[in-house]
Amino acid sequence: MVDAFAYVPAVVLLPFFSFLVALGAGKYLPKGGAFGGIAATAGSFLLSLWIAATVAGGRAYDETLYTWAAGDQFELTFGALVDPLSALMLVIVTLVALLVHVFSLGYMNDEGETGLPRYYAGLGLFTASMLGFVVADNLLMAFMFFELVGLCSYLLIGFHFREPGPPSAAKKAFLVTRFGDYFFLVGVVAVFATFGTAAFAGEGSFPALAEAALAGDQAVWTPGGLDVMTWFTVVGLLVLGGVVGKSAQFPLHTWLPDAMEGPTPVSALIHAATMVAAGVYLVARMYGFYALTPTTLAVIAFIGGFTALFAATMGVVKDELKQVLAYSTISQYGYMMLALGAGGYVAAVFHLTTHAFFKALLFLGAGSVIIAMHHNEDMWDMGGLKARMPVTYYTFLAGSLALAGIFPFAGFWSKDEILYEALVHGLNEPLLLGGYVMGLLAVPVTAFYTFRMVFLTFHGEPRTDLAADPEPVRWNVKGPLTVLGSLAVVTGFINMVPVQKVLGLEGIDYLHRWLDNEWGGIDGLSSHHYADLGPYSSGYIAGGEVPTVLVGAAVSLGLALAGLGLAWRLYNVASPTEHTAKLGGIKDVLYNNYYLDELQVWIAYRTEDIAGGADTFDQGIIDGVVNGVSSVSLAGGSRVRRIQTGLVSQYAAMLTLGLIALLVLIGVNGGWFL
Amino acid sequence: MILEALIGFTFLAALLVLLAPNAWAGRLAFALSTVPFVGSLYLWSRFDAVGNALTGGTIAFESRYEWVEVGGRTVSWFVGLDGISLPLVVLTTFLVPLAILSAWTPVDTRQSQFYGLMLFMEANLLGVFTALDFFLWFVFWEAVLVPMYFLIGVWGGPRRKYAAIKFFVYTNAASLLMFIGFMSLTFALGDSIGSLALPEITQAIADGGLETWFGISPGRIAMVAFLATFAGFAVKVPIVPFHTWLPDAHVEAPTPVSVLLAGVLLKMGTYALLRFNFTMLPEQASALAVPIAAIAVISVIYGAMLALAQKDLKRIVAYSSVSSMGYVILGLVVFTEYGVGGATFQMVAHGLISGLMFMAVGVVYNATHTRMVGDMAGMADRMPVTVGILVAGAFGYMGLPLMAGFAGEFFIFVGAFGAPSLPYAPVFTALAMFGIVIVAGYLLSAMQKTLFGPFRLETDYEIGRAPFHDVAPLAVLLAAIVVLGVAPDLFFEMIRDAAMPVVEGVSVDV
Amino acid sequence: MAAVAASIPPQWYLLLAAGVFCIGLFGILTRSDALYFLMSVELMMNAANINFVAFSLYYGDLTGQVFALFVIALAAAEVAIGIGIILVLYRNFGDIDVTVPTEMRW
Repeated sequence: MVDAFAYVPAVVLLPFFSFLVALGAGKYLPKGGAFGGIAATAGSFLLSLWIAATVAGGRAYDETLYTWAAGDQFELTFGALVDPLSALMLVIVTLVALLVHVFSLGYMNDEGETGLPRYYAGLGLFTASMLGFVVADNLLMAFMFFELVGLCSYLLIGFHFREPGPPSAAKKAFLVTRFGDYFFLVGVVAVFATFGTAAFAGEGSFPALAEAALAGDQAVWTPGGLDVMTWFTVVGLLVLGGVVGKSAQFPLHTWLPDAMEGPTPVSALIHAATMVAAGVYLVARMYGFYALTPTTLAVIAFIGGFTALFAATMGVVKDELKQVLAYSTISQYGYMMLALGAGGYVAAVFHLTTHAFFKALLFLGAGSVIIAMHHNEDMWDMGGLKARMPVTYYTFLAGSLALAGIFPFAGFWSKDEILYEALVHGLNEPLLLGGYVMGLLAVPVTAFYTFRMVFLTFHGEPRTDLAADPEPVRWNVKGPLTVLGSLAVVTGFINMVPVQKVLGLEGIDYLHRWLDNEWGGIDGLSSHHYADLGPYSSGYIAGGEVPTVLVGAAVSLGLALAGLGLAWRLYNVASPTEHTAKLGGIKDVLYNNYYLDELQVWIAYRTEDIAGGADTFDQGIIDGVVNGVSSVSLAGGSRVRRIQTGLVSQYAAMLTLGLIALLVLIGVNGGWFL
Repeated sequence: MILEALIGFTFLAALLVLLAPNAWAGRLAFALSTVPFVGSLYLWSRFDAVGNALTGGTIAFESRYEWVEVGGRTVSWFVGLDGISLPLVVLTTFLVPLAILSAWTPVDTRQSQFYGLMLFMEANLLGVFTALDFFLWFVFWEAVLVPMYFLIGVWGGPRRKYAAIKFFVYTNAASLLMFIGFMSLTFALGDSIGSLALPEITQAIADGGLETWFGISPGRIAMVAFLATFAGFAVKVPIVPFHTWLPDAHVEAPTPVSVLLAGVLLKMGTYALLRFNFTMLPEQASALAVPIAAIAVISVIYGAMLALAQKDLKRIVAYSSVSSMGYVILGLVVFTEYGVGGATFQMVAHGLISGLMFMAVGVVYNATHTRMVGDMAGMADRMPVTVGILVAGAFGYMGLPLMAGFAGEFFIFVGAFGAPSLPYAPVFTALAMFGIVIVAGYLLSAMQKTLFGPFRLETDYEIGRAPFHDVAPLAVLLAAIVVLGVAPDLFFEMIRDAAMPVVEGVSVDV
Repeated sequence: MAAVAASIPPQWYLLLAAGVFCIGLFGILTRSDALYFLMSVELMMNAANINFVAFSLYYGDLTGQVFALFVIALAAAEVAIGIGIILVLYRNFGDIDVTVPTEMRW
């Protein structure tokens, strides 16, 4: 019997080998190494399915595979942790990566891009880093792969390095996420200092130790004898810094819209399954730690809810297809954070799953449109593509319905569950309730901008010649779209909690059961355990659980339909016009992203000014002292040497005076004159 | 005997190259310089030291001959290796052949003298890292300055004379201070030592051998000696505010000299700090932990801010060395296994990474004849391989995981954060860690301006492919950085072993 | 003779030597003519010789006289070199005034 878990490293290493192959030999291979990448991700995908099936068969895996540094103080190791959560994530990541690789054949190879080996190398490394992050069994390893994911995003966003825009966007993406990662790294170091370990799972894992410490059963180090609860909150918030950066939460979200400079398949990978998902996944991974500190949870929920609404409002006024999608990504990850903060661990993972599929779908669909439009992304130049590219249209529509949260598409189920969790837990928590309200307000906005995008792109009459005669796309574009389109329709059915609650059907909340280790898993990493740890109690409106479910779902669906209807009215016409002018001054604010980019640029410039000041200080004062010492010596020397006139008589006189002085000195000392 | 053979061979090689004709001095020097590297690999394979050489551990390849007697103290030829010095010996012998290779293109006058001096410097550097007798060590320490002075002063840039004299006088004055400080320590030890062997001195100090000397109490002598030697070594490291010679020297020095200057010479300072200040006088170091940690943090942040303000690629890398060395000081002062061990590991890691950066900038400079950020753009279009490695090296500098720099920095951070012997350790550590954000800021923006975007070059040079012997050392260095980043225990294991006695020497009352 | 010389107290010799030395010193400090210089140096040296011989007599030790002989030999050599320098001076400057050549500084 071959054990699937023995192949966990292979899941990570296969894409890594495709990276090496593409980098080393890509230019000698057909399609620039694309087939290597496809084969590797396909292999990883199949292995991931097998691993998931093994987990479903009731087993889990937590093994230290490699000792990075074997100190006495701490042992730093790499290991693999496969439990229901990571098995699910493995499947998602490898599937999306595989589809992105296939799609790239159409988007990159068929479009005659240069530098393809570099592109496929980047994709391979990106996938490998993300998979390494997913299976990481401790926080340090997670951090390391987290950073590698950042590197890959830099390389891929800046793929078109000969143009001015992409390198700048790549720099911004890395720098802004690095700023978040700084806090994360402090958090990692703090976890080591506090617990002596950073393992995620098991008796000696840091969430377990933290739980024991809060119960008073375990002594842990805290700086300056700080209260354990306070310190854990600080540590949780530090790690959260990395999450906010990578998952593009307010205020570190600014890199993400710029990252649209990268090739579209890369955007799909970044947004759906890898980099941005990494942040949320990290919180889910160490949820046993976050659940212990109510303040951190409340902060997470509030940031999430705020980001969901905040990003959605900016999506309303954008003209470019990918920009709209970018803001929708930020907004959707805000929902996941809201869920995590609200104690809805399963809801967050659920939304992560459905979002991975429908957002990958939307990006690939956008990529298909961009191919058709010869790389023009302005939605005002499109229109009427519905008839000319039906496969793209219907799959894109499925994704849009999912994104907007329309029954019964995938996004409806997951978003509804998030809002439900936030509502029932938030009735006793004002901060959480604030997050819920903002999340709810974001629902119509989301539906509005999504369908504004759909109508402008696909409906009405073609507004340019390009749109009237789009370039056809091939199987390698349509194939991935079809797969993801079907998933966007059906993924929601894996977790129909409302149906279960209303109709009383037991056991159709498969994701809940999956994440609750019903089939298999690791103790202490189940949603049940997290719920026990969490600080929340449930409250219901309208007198009970079932009415709350129904009212919540009806409100969010109603709001979504209202947003959709408004978009229909304004933009589903033969020749739509801009209505943003009605917003007045708000339009400028939204269009300029609340001037947050300007703020960050301002901060960057001020930092450079400070650096310039430091340089002046350094060259003037510090080096000035050094050079001053030397010039004082030199100047002193040139003064003192004037004693030497070159006149022999004066030398003789000096000799004589010196002799006399010496004699007088000796005389005084010897007491001759007394 | 093997260490004598290693050092002696390098001296002979220097002499041989000095006498060789210019035409093939470079090739001869490279061929000869691979021998010490192979030798150091052999040393590595046979390495059997246990513990720290200064605190009574087993010394590998120990060799001791009495030489002369000065004032009742025996001076001997005393060399040996432990887990701290071996990595640095390997680093030195590894970097020198690569630096020599990278000199083939830029050095086009007086080649035999150039390569002869490089090898002469290597021999002295090996002496510094192996010597276990103070006198012997000091001779090597000072002798390193001489070839460096000429290498900068003869083959350097336009302001080479200024830079060379500044380098020489500054570091030499610092050596004087250090020498006075250390000698007062040996005098105060009185009859408790019979030689200038470092292990004996360490032992004598640990056993309370310091006596009142000229009416000065032992505690005060130890403190004065600590301050004098610390200031002396601080110039070499360099620690803010003694760092201003470094950018000048780097900017004027030719590429291969910069590689050795940043890669190995700076490590002399931190190595000496570890050997003398932190191993021999741990009590004083603990007493001064807060101010030392403070200047370490200032070095990190201030050095990084200065790098941010620079427009010359070499100056950027030079100032970031100041920043990186600040981490080393922080690691040393916390007296934990990961702190001291990580600091030593960071010496090696930074040696490789800064060497790579200087070399890569040098290759770009060979083609463009300018290093100013504003003078070029889009170099990636013309020099894809070089730029690729340069980008990788820059990410190594930023502390990308699975590269050596991250290992060194992370060890230091994780060792420093909860350090019991340093008050406010978490605050200091967190502040120092902010360096990783600034380093990303300046390296990324410098790369964006010079390497990416549409191609543009102010100077009028044709840019072709860099020759193989320019790119090969870059690739080798990058490979070494990745190997050490993936498997730091290659060195870190022996470093830990040698660092533990230093850490245990400090009893912390908590 | 020796008895007469020995009967004179050493102070007189020392006073004589001091007087001769001062005359020589005065010459060096006031004259600018190189020949005067040479002669003055000769005077100072002979003052030293007187002291040597006087002490030698006083202590009954020949070392001082031997030293005096050395000094005389030294003085002869010095005069040879000194005259040579003066000749070169004269050839280069047309004068033997020591205040004229002042190049030998920094």
